Amino acid sequence: MTVDITRQEPAGRGSAPVIPPSKPTARSSAAQLSRRSETGALIGTIGVFIFFCIFGGAQFLATGGAASWLNIAAELGIVAIPVGLLMIAGELDLSVGSVLAASSMTLATVSGYWGLPMGVGILAALAVGVGTGFVNGILVSRTKVPSFVVTLATNFSLVGLTLGLSRLVTGTTSVAIAPDATSKNIFGTLIAGQFEVAIFWWIGIAAVVIWILQMTKFGNWIFAIGGDAESARATGIPVTKVKVGLFMTSGFGAALVGVIQTILYNGAQVSNGQSFVFNSIIAVVIGGVLLTGGYGSVWGIILGTMTFAVVSQGIYYTGWNSDWASLILGILLLAAVLMNNTFRKLALSAGIGTKKLKG
Amino acid sequence: MVVPQLVRNIAAKRGQAFKISTIVPAVIAVVALAGCASGKAETTTGTSTANPGGKNVSIVMIGGTSSDPFFSAIKRGAEDAAKAYGSTVQFTFLGPQNYNNLGPDVAKLQETALSQNPSIVVSPDWVEESQNDAFKRIVAKGVPVILYNSGGSSAAANVGALTYIGTDEYLSGKMGGETFTKNGGKNLVCVNTVPGAANTEARCKGLKDAAAAAGAKSTELSLPSATFGNPSAVTQAIKAQLLQDGSIDGILTIGAADADSAAAAIESANATGKVKLGTFGLSTSTLDRIKGGKQLFALDLQPYLQGFLTVSSAYQYVAYGLLAPSNPNLTGPLVINSSNVDVAIAGAQLGVR
Repeated sequence: MTVDITRQEPAGRGSAPVIPPSKPTARSSAAQLSRRSETGALIGTIGVFIFFCIFGGAQFLATGGAASWLNIAAELGIVAIPVGLLMIAGELDLSVGSVLAASSMTLATVSGYWGLPMGVGILAALAVGVGTGFVNGILVSRTKVPSFVVTLATNFSLVGLTLGLSRLVTGTTSVAIAPDATSKNIFGTLIAGQFEVAIFWWIGIAAVVIWILQMTKFGNWIFAIGGDAESARATGIPVTKVKVGLFMTSGFGAALVGVIQTILYNGAQVSNGQSFVFNSIIAVVIGGVLLTGGYGSVWGIILGTMTFAVVSQGIYYTGWNSDWASLILGILLLAAVLMNNTFRKLALSAGIGTKKLKG
Repeated sequence: MVVPQLVRNIAAKRGQAFKISTIVPAVIAVVALAGCASGKAETTTGTSTANPGGKNVSIVMIGGTSSDPFFSAIKRGAEDAAKAYGSTVQFTFLGPQNYNNLGPDVAKLQETALSQNPSIVVSPDWVEESQNDAFKRIVAKGVPVILYNSGGSSAAANVGALTYIGTDEYLSGKMGGETFTKNGGKNLVCVNTVPGAANTEARCKGLKDAAAAAGAKSTELSLPSATFGNPSAVTQAIKAQLLQDGSIDGILTIGAADADSAAAAIESANATGKVKLGTFGLSTSTLDRIKGGKQLFALDLQPYLQGFLTVSSAYQYVAYGLLAPSNPNLTGPLVINSSNVDVAIAGAQLGVR
């Protein structure tokens, strides 16, 4: 938590779309912390972690337990970070589930069923994701139909296309693959028999995205578009290009997880992936990103992803009847989001006293 | 909002092991999306010269879609049985184009079957409330009916069918539980990735009762929908269960794809050899693990036998008046373990398993 995130803080509705870095003013560090947008998410993560440390026992804290939620968080995080960026820019992507399945089946078909080199299959799989993102972005920008509807439609269409094509081409809905050692090492091996390589992909993607948001104008554009797309356009921000780019990024993230899972589990199934649609949005929202856009941070998304993973895996370490897992998940998620709202209000009132914010 | 796909994909993913009744509850939610499915009929007439001297028998079989792998094995068995009786058999297979509106669609197929003046009709009873009236009309016209695949002997008695041929989810789960306890299992887990569905719950209840009868402990690990279609989540949940309770020594999964996750979980919990694995359904990786000694067993529902026995029973009843007294007439599951895995692999390569 050493990265300065002040540039990610929004200036509130109706303010200038390009956010100038706010000058840190002299405040007590506790007050400053309470006003950072991801403080609520951080408290949520620590809270659920302590909760399961108490009820999950030693196994939850041991290597195996840590790997449990880190593996889940890594795969979800690779999808959630770009999905979160899109949400900050005011758009949703519900197509990640079928992109994951489509890329997974593409890799298994190209490199498993047809026997082409792994590299070709991986590139084809990633291209499926980026291509779907491009189609989503163009459709949303050109038609002005809400992205919720457009990406829901592509989610359905792509599932149908994947199912239909895999039956036509391979005659089945699950295809096996025997990945070579190199691609196993890069995408789908277990380090120390426990930790997925995906964890490093997650960290890498997070680092790159944090850098983009901190250091490039592209980062500011995203917040500006999410705050008010029309004003952003008026100030010369290429709104369409930014959005198409973001959709392509979220397609890429989902496709990458598809590749990782295919190589890790030596096969692909048409039905995989749909749980990522809601889980990624849940992780992003727990992380403090507003569903309406314009507000949020990558650190928040990372913390939200960790909270979700700890809760969804921690329950199995408690020894409680797993029938209640969904209920506990739901309650903890609601609690986390309510806490976020409290801290968001504090964060948005940060400027009060030095300067008035509109809206 | 993604429920329709999810549920259809369950059928696709675990087509080897699932009866169609799994998808029925959710199917109701999709009725609005469902197209008007018209039945497809294919008629096979035996061409061999063998003629056992019986009268001409016209058998109409109602079954699943042409793309359902489980039903393609059933159909293959049925056609082989029809061919065995030669030119005295006229065999017709009717199937819906999809499972989106199953009850009404199949009830219409039953009317189609009756309109062809068959000697006998064989059909699954997937949606009793939609299909039973049509069965009763067929029986009332004097055409005998055999239920197979789904429904059970209670449904057969209800509609006046001769018998039920197929599997029983509860007894199959019990067989899985007994296989564990015979191999020393003391603490079993049934991993249910579709909790609440009648057939998966029946499987897990069978395991539970078998464990209780042998004095073993058992739990059902029901995974919430947040894990659906995510093998990593299923793997980590099973691993957590293994780490949390170190005395677990047997895991049963409800489909072959989940068995892959369970195998990975056993490995990363460092429990290889200690925790035994069994599953419903067959897949290449499942058979390979059994051969390699990493999996105890798989329960094969034997769809080919289901089709073959149903059609040959139908023929023998019409032609000779023969009827097996056992009801239900169980065609599976067969426990595939290291002793018979080689022949099972050979059968799978021939497309029979």
